[in-house]
Amino acid sequence: MTVSMMENLNAMGISSGMVTSTVITIILCVIAILAGRNMQLKEPGRLQNMVEIGIGKLYGFFEGIMGKKLCRQYFPIVGTLFIYILFCNYSGLLPAAGELPGLKPPTASINCTAAMAIFVFFMTMFVGIRANHGPKYFKHLFKPFAFLFPLMCIEMVVRPLSLTMRLYGNVFGEETVTHQFFTMIPIGLPVVMQALSVLMGLVQALVFSLLTAIYFTEAGEIEGEELETL
Amino acid sequence: MGMVALGAALAVGLAAIGPGIGQGIAAGKALDGMARQPEAAGMLRTNMILAFAFMESLTIYGLVIAFLLYSKV
Repeated sequence: MTVSMMENLNAMGISSGMVTSTVITIILCVIAILAGRNMQLKEPGRLQNMVEIGIGKLYGFFEGIMGKKLCRQYFPIVGTLFIYILFCNYSGLLPAAGELPGLKPPTASINCTAAMAIFVFFMTMFVGIRANHGPKYFKHLFKPFAFLFPLMCIEMVVRPLSLTMRLYGNVFGEETVTHQFFTMIPIGLPVVMQALSVLMGLVQALVFSLLTAIYFTEAGEIEGEELETL
Repeated sequence: MGMVALGAALAVGLAAIGPGIGQGIAAGKALDGMARQPEAAGMLRTNMILAFAFMESLTIYGLVIAFLLYSKV
């Protein structure tokens, strides 16, 4: 039944990754709603406590990188990216992921990672413009020397490209290698690869959100530097 | 056709050499620093992972090219 349903969806242009991504989003929403429903300050429930500890750790980590003010402003975006990418990467660890129709890690498709990277690209500009009160932000392209302008432009455009390629290449490559190992030796060897991919999924989610945080910090800090020099 | 397959293998194989050496050096230095100053381990680890990401992306470019070539075989 699911196979024929998935075929219909595929004919409509909806891929397995999109289905998995939607399911992940729904699961995350349900967890968030359940944990956030009648929150207690004195005696937090089990789920609330668990989520609070996780988010607290994540917040502390990003606070060390972005600083207090920026972390308070932009932690929702960065943290969401981390959690979403983590769940997407780990959805590839589920049994028969990639074989079963409708179950495929969304980050193994270039469309998903490109969408996130482009969002980060424009969000970085937004952060810069907001922190610098207007298009003064783009002056940083001429910052050290004006003749470096083309180079700075290339650097800016390469950022989303490398973000896309890094996440997509890692997850897709890992999926492909696991699949190849499975066809070679079905017992034993894929387990080793799966254990490695647990680590890989975490590191890639961390790297994506860490780089996003660093781009935001860089964009948001320009104003402070200018004020100091003036 | 055979040359395309060879090219795909070489693309990822050669692209893995440089970052492999680079990551080895970076990890070694980071561990050196952590052993000397265990209190700075957290910061070192974060920066090490960040540096790894940049090095790793070079291999990933090779891998992507390999996949592009592989689809032509």
